[in-house]
Parts: sequence; structure tokens; C-alpha cells
Amino acid sequence: MTLIGLGARNAFRNPFRTGLTVVGVAVAILAFVLLRTVITSWNIASEVAAKDRIATRHKLSFVVPLPKRYVDTIREVKGVQAVTWANWFGGKDARNPDAFFATMMVDAKTFLDVYDEMVVPPEQKARWLEDRQGALVGSSLARQLNLKVGDRFTLTGTIFPGEWVLNIDGIYTATRKSIDQSSLFFHWDYVNESLPSDRRDNVGWVVSRIDEPGIGPDVSAAIDKIFDQYDQQTLTMSERALNLSFMGMFSAIIKAIDIVSIIILLILVMILANTIAMGVRERTSEYGALRALGFMPSHIRIFILGESATLGLVAGVAGVGLAVPLVNGGLSRFIEENMGGMFPYFRVDTTTTLQALGLALVLGLASGVVPAIQAGKLSVVNALRRIE
Amino acid sequence: MSEASNGQAIVELKGVTKSYTRGKEEVHVLDNLDLDVMKGAFEAFMGPSGSGKSTLLNLIAGLDQATSGQVKVAGQQLTQLSDGQLAKFRSSTLGFIFQQYNLLPVLNALDNVELPLLLTNLGSSERKKRAQTALRVVGLEDRMTHFPRQLSGGQEQRVAIARAIVNDPQIIVADEPTGDLDRKSADEILTLLGTLNKDFGKTILMVTHDPLAAERATVVHKLDKGRLVR
Repeated sequence: MTLIGLGARNAFRNPFRTGLTVVGVAVAILAFVLLRTVITSWNIASEVAAKDRIATRHKLSFVVPLPKRYVDTIREVKGVQAVTWANWFGGKDARNPDAFFATMMVDAKTFLDVYDEMVVPPEQKARWLEDRQGALVGSSLARQLNLKVGDRFTLTGTIFPGEWVLNIDGIYTATRKSIDQSSLFFHWDYVNESLPSDRRDNVGWVVSRIDEPGIGPDVSAAIDKIFDQYDQQTLTMSERALNLSFMGMFSAIIKAIDIVSIIILLILVMILANTIAMGVRERTSEYGALRALGFMPSHIRIFILGESATLGLVAGVAGVGLAVPLVNGGLSRFIEENMGGMFPYFRVDTTTTLQALGLALVLGLASGVVPAIQAGKLSVVNALRRIE
Repeated sequence: MSEASNGQAIVELKGVTKSYTRGKEEVHVLDNLDLDVMKGAFEAFMGPSGSGKSTLLNLIAGLDQATSGQVKVAGQQLTQLSDGQLAKFRSSTLGFIFQQYNLLPVLNALDNVELPLLLTNLGSSERKKRAQTALRVVGLEDRMTHFPRQLSGGQEQRVAIARAIVNDPQIIVADEPTGDLDRKSADEILTLLGTLNKDFGKTILMVTHDPLAAERATVVHKLDKGRLVR
């Protein structure tokens, strides 16, 4: 028997209350793990970017377009193998405007050369290249929207207003996670030709395949140097950096998730603190007896902190024990298939697991601090009197 | 003075006063009290509720400090000791028996008895050995692995007595040790206290309302309004 062991045993003295507390904290830990996994997975989306691609966007912002003529200039830069361009279309399914998926207008002739990890059956690819209204749909999105080759599909434009009727010419898969399978790509020309002259011939960003990954920074600098003299300067970066800047648009969501995570942790502390405080109040006379036997206030504090740490850790293990099989065993496949663009690898990683366990332990300890200090201050006589 | 006295006072109180304020009123619990208890005595303190008997016991046990006067126990002036020193004094010199036993329900009898030894430098096996010996002394060698909820009131109090004697204290302080027990169990506990006094030489100070319990003591002090009235 040890002092900390004695504190730990107290944690299970009222099994019903302890059980409810463990369940409450475990659910909070589960929610925390899920939210952290969303953020981690989101960040992974930028990590899986191809290393031999660089992207050029307007120096000011991702949302300010560049003149299309820049594409030809970039194509001539030393080290650039192939170039394509794209615009964020921001379309919605006309039948179901609430469904979110990425829609991009791309240069069909060059797009698949630069994104060579996309796999499209040859006959579908040929058909798409020929069809001005043709679209390529990721396999996950096709399943989600119940689309098959030959279907007609109407997008409602938000950035480019109107109803845009597309032909589903191909369904792509991918050999790497650098391209998600829940996006829709269609011809840039189709939209561009329909725009008023002042909005025409603008591209969102230019993507270049380079000779080898190592020359990325030099090629990027060379491209930006050329356009330094132009009215509209550029910012060229790795595909990973582009993905990160794209995700910057979702920073408010990430911030909101962070805030919710903090609120969950505060709830966790309150649940634990309430249980510990109730237990300590009920055991006041016992602490008085222990003090009478010669135990010091520091011993009483150790008992209580041992109890709160045990409770936090047990609840943490229970929460992680729920979260890992739930996410890695079932939820991950669903999310990766249906939201692969944002969450290409949706798994609870070791860091999140350790974070959750560490936080449960630390917050468990923290929740015991105030009751421990108060119990340590009790006068022996007053504590013993509680039994009379 | 106790029949068991060998002439050496183990407890000496001189001019002890204990008072506290309740609102604007000052309440005197003990009033200029003098008391000597000889080593090896078995003394009982009786009196009506509020007479100050438990407060007196608390001062002797170093659980509370006198407002004025001197409290000397086992050669130590308790009024001069810090909280930490008082805690060490209690663990080395005193054994406590409470009316409601105050055993820890999460520990079995053996672990409850071992509890005070956690404050010593003894190793685990030696602690266990001593706790087993103490439980044998109180006749509970067959209940060592029982938890308090599995014991009768009398058995619980015997475990508490084993806990009180496990580190061989000079003085045992018992606050209403039979208050929660039936007559038969109370008699057993009082017999056990008598044995500890006679056979093991422990000085026993007992607060009680029970005249039959007080009869077992060699000296009975009566308190009223904070003064000894015997």
C-alpha cells in the first residue's frame, strides 16, 4: 500500500458516481479526439501534395485572378515541364444545393498531363477532351451523387452565376492521395467563353510540373521575378503551400473547432472537479482521522490529487478506447471516401492519442487542485467534528 | 492519581484555558484547568455535553492548541510545537480511537492497521508483520482481509484499536470508544482497553458518557463548564 495507491482506491469508492463521471469525461475525450482528428486530417491534405508541382497565384490573394497570358510566360521558364491552370468555380448541385463538393474549371488539354496521378479510362478521357461541356467526376463523388458516365448534371454557379449543364464524360480514380476523389473538373473554356469580356481570360492559379522536386524554390523565384515588373505580381509556391493557403480560407472553421475543443476540456474539468469535490466533502471526517494519526496536509493533498489523476486517466483511456476503434475502424473509410478532398487520411494518430491521454491526466490533476488545497487547510478538530 | 502510576506524570496541564468567539460572544470551553496524568494510568473524563471533555482530550492529543496555559505531554510542550511537529508527535506518541471508528472503507483490516506505519521508514514486509501482530492482540487474526463493511461494529472498533497500538504509542486517546456499540461489544472493547493498560502499560485517556465504561478506568474526572469538579 502506498499513499498514491490509497488515493487511487478512493477514486472507485462510489462506483456509480465514478462510472457516470468516467462516461461523461470519456465522451468529452471522444469529442476532443474527433475534433483534433479533423484538424490533423485537414493538415494532412496539405502534406500529401505532390513535390514536383508548384503553383502560381496572384501575390495579393488566392481569390484574385491572374491574366491567362501568364501561362505562356511560365511555360517558358527553365525547369518547367508542363503547365496547366484552373479556377475555383464554387458550383452547387442544382438538385441539392446543400451538398458541398469541390468544382473546378480546368484546362482540359493540359490538366491530366500535370496531374498524372489521376486515372481516367482512355475512352472516357478522349470523350472528355472532345466535349466542351464534359466533366470528370471523382469516384467518391460519383457514388455520393449517384452519377455515371453519360449522365447530364447541372451546376448552379455562385462565383459564375447561372445554370451550367455538364455531361459526365469520365469518372476518375487516383494513384496517390495528392488528388482527392470527391471533386468535379470541367472545361475552363466552357465558362470563359460565356463570360463578359471584362471577366474573360482570367485564371485562378497556374500549376507547373517541374523537372525535379529540388529545383522548386529556384523555379518559383524565377517565375515571380519575371512578374515583378508586371502590374499584377505573382506568388509561386509548392503545391503544399498552395493547399495550405487554400485551407486558410477555412481558418475560421479551424478556429471554431479549436474553441469547441477548449470548451470540451473545460466541461471535462468541471465534471471531474465536481466528482472530486463531492468525494472530498464526504470524506472530511476521514481526512480528520488521518491528520489525527499524524498524516500531514501534504499527505491529504497527495491522496486527493492521486484520486483525481486516476479518475482523469481512467476516463482518458476510456475515451481514447472509444474513439480509436470508432474512427479508425469505421468512420475513416466513410469520410475518406466521401470527403477525401478535405480529409484524405482520417485516422486518430499517435500524437492525438497521447495528447488526449496527457490532457485527461493533467486536467484530472488540475480538477483536484482546489479540493486538495481546501482539504489540506482543514483543522483536524473541525474535520473530525463532521462525524458528530 | 492512577493506581498504575509509577509516579511520573506523562500529561501535565497547568492553567489551561481554551476559548473561542461565537459572533461577539467569547465562549470559555476550558477554564484555568490543571491536570496531571501519571504514566500507565487509565483515566476517564465524564461530563455533560459542552463541558469541555472532548476539547480537553484534543489539547492533550495535540489536535488543538490551548488559548493559554501549558500542555506538556510525554515530555513535550505542545504549545511550542508547529503543526508539522505536532503531527510527528501524534504519530509517534499517541494512538487514537474514535467513536465512529474512522476506518477507511477502501482498505481491508490489515491495510487499515498498517496505515500509521506508512509514516515510518519501515519496509512493506515489516509494516505488514506489525499490523498482523496488532490484529492478533485484538483477536482479529482471522479477519485481516475483511473490509470494514464486512465487520460488526465491535470488530471495527477492535481494528481501530489495532491501528491505535500498531506503532506502540505511549498514550491511547479514546473519544467515546463504546458510544456506537451494544453492551456486549462495549464490554469487549473496554476489556481490551483494560488489557492494553495493564498488560502493555499503555496510558489510556478516555472520554465517555457511559458510567459502566468509566467504571473500568482507575480514575474518573468529571468536568462541568470547563472545570474539573471531581
